[in-house]
Amino acid sequence: MTTMRLWMMLGALAVAVPALPAEMRSNKNRGRGSMWWGIAKAGEPNNLLPMSPTSLHMDPTVYATLRRKQRRLARENPGVLMAVARGANQAITECQHQFRNRRWNCSTKNFLRGKNLFGKIVDRGCRETAFIYAITSAAVTHSIARACSEGSIQSCSCDYSHQSRGPSGVRDWEWGGCSDNIGYGFRFSREFVDTGERGRNLREKMNLHNNEAGRTHVSAEMRQECKCHGMSGSCTVKTCWMRLPTFRQVGDNLKDRFDGASRVMVSNSERTRGVSNAITSNSASNSVHAQREGLSRRHRYNFQLKPYNPEHKPPGVKDLVYLEPSPPFCEKNPKLGILGTHGRQCNDTSIGVDGCDLMCCGRGYKTQEVIVVERCGCTFHWCCEVKCQLCRTKKTIHTCL
Amino acid sequence: MQGTIIENLSGKKLAVLVLLLVLGQIVSFLVGGLVAPPPSNSQNILGTACLDQRNANGTPPGIDKWMYSRPSGKCDIIDTHEITERILPIVYSFQMPTPRNKQILDYSRWQHSLIGVLQVDIMYHSHIIVPPTTKLTLDARLAYRNKDDPENAWKHYASSVVERNLDCTIDKLHEEYNYNCSILSLFELGSLFHDYYLLNIRLPNDPLKNVNQDLGHVTDLWLTVINQNGGFTKVWVSLKTIYFPITLLILCWYWRRIHMLSRSPALLEYMLLGLGCALSLLNLPLEYFTLVFDMPFMLLLEDVRQGIFYALLLSFWLIFAGEHLMVQDGDHKNSLKGYWRHLSAVGVGCLSLLFFDVCERGVQLRNPFYSIWVTSVGAKMALSFIILAGISAGIYLLFLSYMIWKVFINISAKRAVLPSMSSARRLHYEGVIYRFKFLMIATLLCASLTVIGFILGQVAEGQWKWDQDIELEMTSAFFTGVYGMWNIYIIALLCLYAPSHKQWPVEPSENSVSEEIEFSRLPTEPNEMLSLTAFSRKTAID
Repeated sequence: MTTMRLWMMLGALAVAVPALPAEMRSNKNRGRGSMWWGIAKAGEPNNLLPMSPTSLHMDPTVYATLRRKQRRLARENPGVLMAVARGANQAITECQHQFRNRRWNCSTKNFLRGKNLFGKIVDRGCRETAFIYAITSAAVTHSIARACSEGSIQSCSCDYSHQSRGPSGVRDWEWGGCSDNIGYGFRFSREFVDTGERGRNLREKMNLHNNEAGRTHVSAEMRQECKCHGMSGSCTVKTCWMRLPTFRQVGDNLKDRFDGASRVMVSNSERTRGVSNAITSNSASNSVHAQREGLSRRHRYNFQLKPYNPEHKPPGVKDLVYLEPSPPFCEKNPKLGILGTHGRQCNDTSIGVDGCDLMCCGRGYKTQEVIVVERCGCTFHWCCEVKCQLCRTKKTIHTCL
Repeated sequence: MQGTIIENLSGKKLAVLVLLLVLGQIVSFLVGGLVAPPPSNSQNILGTACLDQRNANGTPPGIDKWMYSRPSGKCDIIDTHEITERILPIVYSFQMPTPRNKQILDYSRWQHSLIGVLQVDIMYHSHIIVPPTTKLTLDARLAYRNKDDPENAWKHYASSVVERNLDCTIDKLHEEYNYNCSILSLFELGSLFHDYYLLNIRLPNDPLKNVNQDLGHVTDLWLTVINQNGGFTKVWVSLKTIYFPITLLILCWYWRRIHMLSRSPALLEYMLLGLGCALSLLNLPLEYFTLVFDMPFMLLLEDVRQGIFYALLLSFWLIFAGEHLMVQDGDHKNSLKGYWRHLSAVGVGCLSLLFFDVCERGVQLRNPFYSIWVTSVGAKMALSFIILAGISAGIYLLFLSYMIWKVFINISAKRAVLPSMSSARRLHYEGVIYRFKFLMIATLLCASLTVIGFILGQVAEGQWKWDQDIELEMTSAFFTGVYGMWNIYIIALLCLYAPSHKQWPVEPSENSVSEEIEFSRLPTEPNEMLSLTAFSRKTAID
């Protein structure tokens, strides 16, 4: 509750002091790097079958959301587009789940050409934007790694140099293949998601940092599993691999970071930051990763953001960063694409963010008694069938005015 | 008097030999570290959930019906994350290997063996309770295809309805979190003869027989397939191809040496011969045959070969220590009968491991999905075999350390008498004791290096790197290093314990009379005995 109060004060401050740098406001390209989010709404993913020739001819609405480099990536790696689309959908679902009880509930716009999926809120460098960037980038990493395991992307590899190896690949596989998928997911997400974020201004640096944080959370949640297969099944020979986390776990972690996100400003001193440490320590067998990158590329992720409050610690790789306080989400604000909390359901007993006091911003709420027909007493039958009874229950619903 | 080579070898020659052997050791370590890839590779394959094409009566289709997702078209993909209102028949299909680097990969016969491990992702829902231990029933079918076959020509390889015990825990009771389920060993193929494999898994659902009823919401099945790396097999087989003729030559040479003696060979010499034979059997590069023939029994054979070698090595140590006890208790020491108590520990241990292995890997020859651990009877039997082997190992260690302790006690007792001996004799005995201890130290060094390497490998969880810049593959280096070490150890034993042609240097005349008297008092022909044994008998007489 106190955090919420603080929040509102910050929000008020932002309205009172519209001292944003003009350069940041006028940058029309700001949203361009994130236009690919629209892929989530572009038709059913089933239209983009992996490895079929049809995936080369993309749906024009999908095509329009992608930048040139992203189109090239999709063309060169068949099957990737479907994984990205699945990832984007996953990100939206997860974001809406994490924020279902908050004033900003991660609502998405009906996809329209040229508009941003999450609305104009991403034009602001606030916490919510930070979360959106992190969760989408994490979802792409996760989804690509999953698709690699499924075998629906052919180009997965541990080799991070750009040129394809040609026929030597088969020999490499026979000699001693590398089957790390999260490394490819991480790398591909960098290529695809970070397109257009060159890190030239503070906002682009913020996006880069949050994208990287999202990816790092995926690889940090990987868990190791081992199998012994030596003489008579003893542990003289042991093979270990990494297991992908569920995306819900990643979402929860990112939500924690959202609550503790740090406000930053630019710093002049650039120092080497262990960007790839998080991944090398987790995913098995690739340390080549950092060395193989070109110089300019390394430079791109090589910045350190300075905390806005000098007494705070500088943000770490996994932390989310933001630049400006969040706008108030209480009232409808078409300029920022905010819907407001009118008509949202709230919990009158809660003192948290989902409580009626905070959710309705002090406007009050109306209480209704309704009879709801609900599924209850469910029993589950494998696989995937739930037999439920239908119960009619009387429920009290509170809605914000 | 004749002795073994180790006693007659000058310090310089010994040093050169030891240096050569150490060099060989370093080379075999570095071959593993620098040339070979890691010993094994794993691919994590996510099962594609397809809509099963059931028979009209709802039973699974026949074994000639295969579901696969690459190339597409044969599989109606189902999203298992959603809970539906009706039961959908699902078949999880896994195609091995998965494509990488924009290439459709295929298994090579150099990749030796394939082990499949299954992981079940079960999602937590507050209204579905999953018990901590569940019996999972799988209908698993494995098919293969070769490179020049048409893309739908999957041929049946093995199939079985198997049960596994699934242990699931969950820390945070959060909706849509996954249970933490134990990994299940699914299959073991002793040979990787074909190019592509396809696994179809169905989870049968029978409310009447209570099959798979309390499984919870299974979202994904992950199959991890572990194959030996082709590069590692190549390095390993080349090591064998190099060591095999060397050990065979040395063995022949050793046997010729023994045959040239006028007496019958001593027990220790027989043991050494047996050890050499076991090593040659282990070194025999049978892996070449797997490139041409389908030999699914290779895993079992490999275990048996290693078992024979270990059994002989352990027995050799016992007898080696026993033959140097330096107590005089007649001639019966020089036969295996005198060691039956000690050797039965080795025998029982190795036999129980063999039984266990035959029960597990032997049955897997017929049904690769078989596991002894599933039924409670099987698990108890397997566990009792392993416990029996453990107990015999403990007894063996007790016997061995007792005997070695006794040898050292005797040696130090005899050493106290040494100053009273004449100088030539003292020098000789000191040399013998020194070389005996030298060999003991070598054995201890080899054993402890093996153990330390093994523990280090375990601690580092299979992946261990000193430095980012040094690309030394530690796991492989450990395997080739240990393999080379035991080869070199036995080669050294064969060389150093072969009977020598050299005569003892002619003693200076002043004390030779007393020496000759003492030597001539020995019960058997002294110049034909293992001189260490001679020494022990003589000192016992003293």
